[in-house]
Formats: sequence, structure tokens, C-alpha cells
Amino acid sequence: MPDMNFFLHLVISISVVLMNGLPYGLILGRGKILHFGIMGTSLVSTYGIFLVLMNGGGYFLGFIAGLGIAILLALVFSWLAFRLDSDSFGILTIALHLALLAVVLNWIDLTGGAMGIAHIPRAPGLGDPRYFALVTSTVALIWGFFLWKIDRGPLGRRLTALAENPSHARSLGISREKVYTTVFVLSAVGSVLANLFYPQYIGLVHPSDLTFYFMIMYIMFIVAGMGGGIPGVALSCILLTILKEAIRFLPFPSGALGPLRLIVFGMILLVAVYLRREKLFPVPRTV
Amino acid sequence: MQLLVNTLIAGSFAAIMATGLALVYGVLRVFNLALGQFALVGGYVTWWLVQPLGLPLPVGILGGIVCGALVSWLSFEIAVRPFYKRHPLLPLVSTIALSQILDGLIQLIFKEQTRSILIRAKEMVHLGSAVISMEQIKLIIFTVVLLSATAWILHSTSIGRRIRATVAHSQAAESLGISSALLHRLVFIISGTLAAIAGIYVGIDQNLTPVLGFTITIKAYAALIAGGKGNIWGAVIASYFIAAIEQLAVGIKWFGYYLPAGYQGSVALMLIIVLLLIKPTGLFGRTSRFA
Repeated sequence: MPDMNFFLHLVISISVVLMNGLPYGLILGRGKILHFGIMGTSLVSTYGIFLVLMNGGGYFLGFIAGLGIAILLALVFSWLAFRLDSDSFGILTIALHLALLAVVLNWIDLTGGAMGIAHIPRAPGLGDPRYFALVTSTVALIWGFFLWKIDRGPLGRRLTALAENPSHARSLGISREKVYTTVFVLSAVGSVLANLFYPQYIGLVHPSDLTFYFMIMYIMFIVAGMGGGIPGVALSCILLTILKEAIRFLPFPSGALGPLRLIVFGMILLVAVYLRREKLFPVPRTV
Repeated sequence: MQLLVNTLIAGSFAAIMATGLALVYGVLRVFNLALGQFALVGGYVTWWLVQPLGLPLPVGILGGIVCGALVSWLSFEIAVRPFYKRHPLLPLVSTIALSQILDGLIQLIFKEQTRSILIRAKEMVHLGSAVISMEQIKLIIFTVVLLSATAWILHSTSIGRRIRATVAHSQAAESLGISSALLHRLVFIISGTLAAIAGIYVGIDQNLTPVLGFTITIKAYAALIAGGKGNIWGAVIASYFIAAIEQLAVGIKWFGYYLPAGYQGSVALMLIIVLLLIKPTGLFGRTSRFA
């Protein structure tokens, strides 16, 4: 039966998901940009932070390294977005993520390959799970509030205009380059925040936590919650993370839980796309 | 010579996948991210019929193809038809969901184990300095026949003319009496069937694993985009081009040492990304002008 530790685990998991998922709400939900590479950003930022940390660099230097490399990748994604059609961009963000994952899995001397990086120490003051939950939830709340303000401010309106009609938005002086680059960088910051905490919590950086399966979870969070803006995405992140964690208590053999989770979340995403099909990619207004 | 042979083997598999993709993109203008899972369905059903049930290989292959066609038809009805006329980008997301469901079902039914359709020792043949199995020779010849048949159907039959007319201008084609609904369904099923054939190809030549689906899909789409979206022959040529890059990346010494085989796919995908940054319309794509 779930106990206090499970409750704290839920709080930490939800907080981490919110840090990464809310800025993605701006990209896919508000901007309708088919960017499927945020797990690629998570991958490089996680390895950036913890390779520096485990080689004696400390948490601050690790954070700076992770942030730098994540922003660099966000700029590459922006460049791709300006050069390609939206569907080709979507496919190539997945391709870039898979290519980066292959590098991580094969550069064993540096990354530990499929074994990942073990024995990650927690930052000072975060040893107790209660403090860990308190700090992560506070960071998630502040980050969520900041993104909510962004979503309701000029940047959110520019994103909406670009999503509705890029040509009209450009004629109003909205720079697609500036807006896209800003939201991609915001998403990179979210990835760094999330991946600063999660590997500390489990004491391990593992490449299987950074596969495309997790990207699909984020797509699902946004599609399911996009009707309500940032609060809607936050609610969707909370409810679906609880469901994801609760599935482990179902009376199925452990080998069947992974596939079952894929089927359940695949169905939820399909139903969410069906129900949100008008809002996900609305037909441009002609009058 | 061995690199050339390996390129032909890997490129043939990718070319079959890319042909189906280019057809679907040309006619429906949608991306189907569950295509790799259709390939796995074809491969695994053939394995199940040939290995556990002990049926002859041709029967197994036929079963795999029929199952692949059925799954692609069902997928079209569930994950594409309700969405693609509303917005061409919706199926991209709905087929991601479908790929999850199919991945889960494949893992539940066939377990997370490597499976090979032929477990007997393969008969090897020497071609100059290269070594190739009889099965691989047959698969390469089969690909040539399949691509030639596709070319013949597209250019010399009425259904091919309808497909090309819809690719060129869907509304004009519809006004001339071509039933787009039927054609879309047909083209999607053909694409899924080609993917199932490609999956059987992998199961015969190498091994099938349930986690293979997404990588297959993305590599095939990279070929489609690199070749110029909707251009069938561009996609076929790009498939062989990607296979050649993969073989060259790990098959020859770079700065005095060999690159590990695990980087094969990454190198090809990175190069495709660089190519598209330079030429976003792909190798054989053309930029459209709008008045």
C-alpha cells in the first residue's frame, strides 16, 4: 500500500515533470511547434551536469555546464525550425535525439554507456526526502508561476499569433526567430532544472530514463491539458504522473507492467488527440 | 566490395520502407510514425508462423504480409482517417500514440526477446572479396523486382495514373472523378504492406527486437526528407545513400582507427541533418512558389 515515502516520491516526480513539461506547453500547446527533441535537450543537460559533478567540478559548475550545453542545443533546434517545414522539423528533432542517445550509449569511457553514471551524491541539504520534496516542489511552483506569466504576457500572444497565421504575424512585426529561440531556450532551462534534481533523487543517471518513450509522455501531458493553458498542462502533468506511478500497484506480473503502461498511455494520447483535434492544430481563420 | 554489398543489403531494406512512406506522403501529405511497428508486425507474425507453428516459409511470409496489411488498414481507420482531413499534422501525433499501443502489444505477445525467422545456418557465397548469404542475394533481387513493379504500377496502370494525378493536384484529380477516400485508404494499406515486407526482410536477414520500431521509422523518414518529400525515387536513392554513409562510417579507418558500430546510425542521421540545413528541400526536392 502507498505510504509516506510514496507520497514524497509522487511530489518529487510531479515537480520534476512540471519543470520540464510546462515550458513544453508553450512550445507544443501554445506555439503548435512540432518540437519532439526536448528529451534530447534533457539528455545533453543531464550528462553535462553530472559528468562535471562526478569529475570534481561541483554542483554549481555542473549546473553552468548543463545550462550551457542545453542552450546550445536549443539554438541548434531553433536553426532547424527556421530551415525546415514543421513536419520535417518534428521528424528531425526525433532523429537528433536518437543520434545523441546513440552517442551516449556508445561513448562508454565517458558516459558509462548503458550502465549510466552511478553513485550520484545529493547536493548539501537535500539528503532528507522531505527536504528534497520541499525544495523541488518550491522550484516547480516558482518556475510554473514564471511560465504562467510568460504565457499570459506578450510572448504568449506572439506565440499564439505565429501559430494561427505566421504570415499575418510577421506583417505585424512579430519575429518568428526571436519568439521561437526564446521558447526553446526556456524549455532548455526547464530541462536543466528537472535534470538537476531527478538524477540526484534516484542517485543515478540512466540513459533509459531519457528515451523517446518519455518524450511521448510529455506530448500526452500537453495534448491532454492544452485546453487550459499552463494551469491545464500542470493539472494534466499531475494527474497523469499519479496514474503512471499508480500502475505499478496493479496485480500484473512485473514483466507485463512496462508493455501495459505503453498501451494505457498510448490509448490516453490517442483519445486526447481525438478530443482536442480542433484545438491541437486549428484550421486558420479566413475572415 | 564488402562495403558495397553491405550497402545494397541495408539500402534495399530501407528503400522498401521509404517507397511506402513516399507514396503516403505524396498522396495524403501525412507522416505515419507507426510504420516501424507495421514492419515489426510483419516480421513477428512470420516468425510465429514459421518457428513456433512450424509452417513453411512461403506460408509464413504470406501470413506476415496479410497481417501487416490488416493492421495498416485498422490503423488508418483508427489513427489517420478521423484526423488527416482536419489538419495534416494531426496524424503525426495520433500515429505516435498508435506506435506506443502497437509497441506495447508486440512486447506483451512476443516478449522482449530477439527472434530470427530462419535459425538454420546460412549458405554463404563469395563475390570477389565480399561474402554474402544466399538469403541476402534473394532479398536484394526481390527488392529490385518490387521497386520495378512499383514503377510499372505507377507509370503504366490506371491506378498508378490516379495516384500520380492525386499527388500532382488532389482537388483537380477529385474533380475528374478519382475517389480520394478510396485511394487514400489503398495507398496507406500499400505502405503498411511494404513496411511488413521490410520487417520480414529484417527477420530473415538479421534479428527482430520489439524496440526496433521507432528507429526503423525515423531512419526511413530521414531518407524520405533527404530525398525530397513525396519523391519516391528520391527516397529510394536517399535510402541507399544513407546505407552507404552508415557502411563507410564504420567500415573504413578514420584517422587511423575504426569507429564503433554503435555510431553507425548517428553518423548518418547527423549528416542528413547537416544536408537539410544546407538544402532544406532535400536532394531531389523542389521549392514551390506561391503567387
